[in-house]
Amino acid sequence: MRKLYLRMRSLLLASTSVIIFFILWELAALYLPSPYFPDPYSVLKAFITIITVGDIDGYTLAWHTLMSLERVLLGFVVGSATGVPIGILLGIKPTLKNAVTPIIEPIRFIPPIAWIPLSIVLLIGMYRYIFLIWVGVFFPVLLDTIAGVKRTSITLIQMARTFGADNKKIITKIIFPGSLPEIMNGLRVGLGVGWMCIVAAEMIGGEPVGLGRLILKYANLLQIDTVIVGMITIGLVGLAMNYFILFLEKRLFRWRVEIKA
Amino acid sequence: MEKAILLESVSKKYDVGSSSLEVIKDLTFDVNENEFVCIVGPSGCGKTTLLRIISGLEPPSSGRVLVFGRPPDPKRQRFGVIFQEDSLLPWRTVLGNVEFGLEIQDQKEAEREKIAKTFLELVGLQGFENYYPHQISGGMKKRVAIARALAIDPDLILMDEPFADLDAQTRSFMQRELLNIWSKLNKTVLFITHNVEEAVFLAQRVVVLTKRPSKVKQIINIDLPYPRARLSPPFISYRERILTAFHEELEVT
Repeated sequence: MRKLYLRMRSLLLASTSVIIFFILWELAALYLPSPYFPDPYSVLKAFITIITVGDIDGYTLAWHTLMSLERVLLGFVVGSATGVPIGILLGIKPTLKNAVTPIIEPIRFIPPIAWIPLSIVLLIGMYRYIFLIWVGVFFPVLLDTIAGVKRTSITLIQMARTFGADNKKIITKIIFPGSLPEIMNGLRVGLGVGWMCIVAAEMIGGEPVGLGRLILKYANLLQIDTVIVGMITIGLVGLAMNYFILFLEKRLFRWRVEIKA
Repeated sequence: MEKAILLESVSKKYDVGSSSLEVIKDLTFDVNENEFVCIVGPSGCGKTTLLRIISGLEPPSSGRVLVFGRPPDPKRQRFGVIFQEDSLLPWRTVLGNVEFGLEIQDQKEAEREKIAKTFLELVGLQGFENYYPHQISGGMKKRVAIARALAIDPDLILMDEPFADLDAQTRSFMQRELLNIWSKLNKTVLFITHNVEEAVFLAQRVVVLTKRPSKVKQIINIDLPYPRARLSPPFISYRERILTAFHEELEVT
């Protein structure tokens, strides 16, 4: 009973703040001097148009979303396939990590947008997207993997050694499974950051599809209602991906005391 | 008969900055096959280092270590080591943990489960196969670690203060269980402790170490039949003898 009451209350609070948000938005649209700032209703209309009819080139919202997802997931796969192994390597070889830190650390703070000119010069087609998403995915995955490896208990490693485990078995049976919670956290953050890079990645390339492209296309037409449709979609898809991975984490790491509660 | 463990003037030094710390100096003793030997010594006397040397995790700085006639090597010999700290893999179930040693030694999967279940039964944990370590008590975790060590059919069981973290009741229960298992399996056990009573209760021979740098102070045979009564006069007199030797090492600083 009490549980139900608490649930109802938090649901009520959440919907209240959403309603207040829309009221403030409506007021802002009414009183702000800019003629380009749309109210919630025109955004809703734009939403329906993009979902059903499509944009000026005929691409629907689902199509834009799928194309962006494909690009981000490809970048994410490459980002994790590089971030996790390199992270494990740097985690178990502190000297190597110290050697490459002065290179990695400054690069980490260069935003994906700053990489656009270089990627135009060096890469073509899909590789540009993958590279720009990779920039967003790689570093969170790398850093969390290193943190996970460092947290590995020395007792567990010694235990495995007394059973005669070689380095390969220590990595596959102790270090990797023991770091998985941190690695998963890195993957979740990495996917989020990679997803946020989608607009930057889609700034280049002539292709007319993708949520980033949708935003840029309608920004040029000064139709801000459809721009906001793209923004909201990016936000909602990112949220959904985050919850999906959190759900996976909960299922995978039932052995962790911290998650049990 | 070949000795299970043979240590001849073993020394171990660690470099600490520019100086060196001598942990073990000129240590000599042996352990017979199927014997239960306890090592007692003041804390910081290098008992754990000694265990690491005997299990081949670290070489001695000088001297000779032989386990069944060969230099110890966990890749070629089977050591069942039980640590003081919790050494279970938290992401594996009880059964998965007991299978771990067998898995490292490339035992077939079907065999693994069968063997692991046999030893879980031996330590009285049947029915807990699918629990995770955080769901069971400290005493049960120790029993899982013991089952894991025994499952590989070890040549040698090495225990490093395994019951130190347990409460008094669980501890004395685990001591009886261990003797029970030992009498069934005929294994050589080297048991490290700083608890003199525990040593007298368990061991056929007690090796008392000096403070750092450690060497053998005294070796005492405990000629008492199992199970031993902790309050019997001969038990108490053995305890007093060892305590006296032990306390001399604590006082001289």
